[in-house]
Amino acid sequence: MDNFLIGLFLATLIISIFTARLYRLIFWYFVNSLMLGLLAVFIGIKVHDNALIVSGAITLVLKALIIPYVLKYLSKKFHLQRQITPNIKVHYSVILIPAILVFTFFIAEPISHMLQANPNDISISISSLFLTLILMMEHNHVAPKIIGFLTLDNALFLLGITATNGMPMLVELGVFFDILMAIVIINLLFKDTGVKA
Amino acid sequence: MILYLSTIILLVVISPLLLSFITQIKMFITFKKPISIFQGYRNFSKLMSKETIISEETSAVTRVAPFLILSPLLTVLFLLPPIVKGAYYVSFVDAFTITGLISLSTFFLMLLGLDSASSFGGMGSSREAFISALVEPAMILTVFSVSMMAGNLGIGQAGVNLASSFPQKHMASFLFSAISFFILLIAENGRIPVDNPQTHLEVTMIHEAMILDITGVYLAIVEMASSIKFIIFASLFASLFMPFGLQFSVPIALMIFIAKLLIICIAIALLEASTAKLRLFKVPNLLGISIVFAFLSLITFYVLGA
Repeated sequence: MDNFLIGLFLATLIISIFTARLYRLIFWYFVNSLMLGLLAVFIGIKVHDNALIVSGAITLVLKALIIPYVLKYLSKKFHLQRQITPNIKVHYSVILIPAILVFTFFIAEPISHMLQANPNDISISISSLFLTLILMMEHNHVAPKIIGFLTLDNALFLLGITATNGMPMLVELGVFFDILMAIVIINLLFKDTGVKA
Repeated sequence: MILYLSTIILLVVISPLLLSFITQIKMFITFKKPISIFQGYRNFSKLMSKETIISEETSAVTRVAPFLILSPLLTVLFLLPPIVKGAYYVSFVDAFTITGLISLSTFFLMLLGLDSASSFGGMGSSREAFISALVEPAMILTVFSVSMMAGNLGIGQAGVNLASSFPQKHMASFLFSAISFFILLIAENGRIPVDNPQTHLEVTMIHEAMILDITGVYLAIVEMASSIKFIIFASLFASLFMPFGLQFSVPIALMIFIAKLLIICIAIALLEASTAKLRLFKVPNLLGISIVFAFLSLITFYVLGA
């Protein structure tokens, strides 16, 4: 079951790299966070870690509901450009993404021997880190870059869950707080660039 | 043996039903008065009773091609995974054979389009070649990775293995290949994001453009071939990616199988009702996504074992 959720996590990430519409990108971010939250709750139940269940539930509420809603609200309010064509053409992405995946899968192999965790979880979360970097690289506008940044946070959270079977609760809450601050800053950024972006 | 033959006959018989079912759901969603579910049979009987006219400019290919379009697909029907317990199945046929037979059928369809030397036929054939050339690698990769997960290269045996012992460990790569195969199902059967089977508009049609010049019995055969192609893909999806229900007794297993086919039809109808048709030169992007997922499924299986 957790393999299934991790698979959907990576699948939504890959699809969001190919997306050329802003609202569609926000939707894929929503699905991505939903899978992450469900995974955290699922692993929390499996290893009987209440803190992980709580942080999974917070992820579900915050990242899967509030942040996509706020992003969509802001982009409507500032009339952001909804057509966001990636700089990297799809033909190149088709080669680039498998290359990155193979590369990170082989890189992650020694790391996963060091940690006592499921090797595929770690490799998939590291490869999704690299993929979010591509998502941030391939767009010129502010909004998709911000979504890339938020997805990067999702990938880090996934790494935290799977590598250590649950980060300390305090760290999690700190990360969430950072994200909330980021949303406030994003609001300011949107306000400045909203007219021309 | 009787079970084997009767399931194949069942697949042939219900194949027009599924396409009418998709149209029915689409019309229901868009608040039109739905057509009857038996519209496929009505069209078939109407075309059978009509006069067959062949253009003077055509060669012998037009007379032969409809049968050669249908026969590889009928052969593929014999090689599919079993849908009930205890039926015979061909265990040693792998992805290359099935993909090859399907592309043989597509090849004769393209010849049929070219043969009448009308501009539409050539256009449709070139578009079909363009799409099917991109479908084949993804299809081979997808079916290969699924049969790797099942532990047998033969598709029939893979379906049985998946139904008896589902690969819980390989759920991630299973999911990727399911996504890839669903895109292929849409692309190869000319459903909406790739081709619209219901229009005769010059800029959009692919499948319709190739069969504009044929009439009567030949048209009936080609339409039957396209519905059989759909049921091949749908039943491959049902038995490889929804592998359950094989262990029950024959009537229940049949009902579960038909329910799976109807679920696939509903998914396609919802997708068709909610998306617009892609521009032709955007279609490689969609198929590129499919190839990425197929490749991802293989490497996830090999490198990570997930």
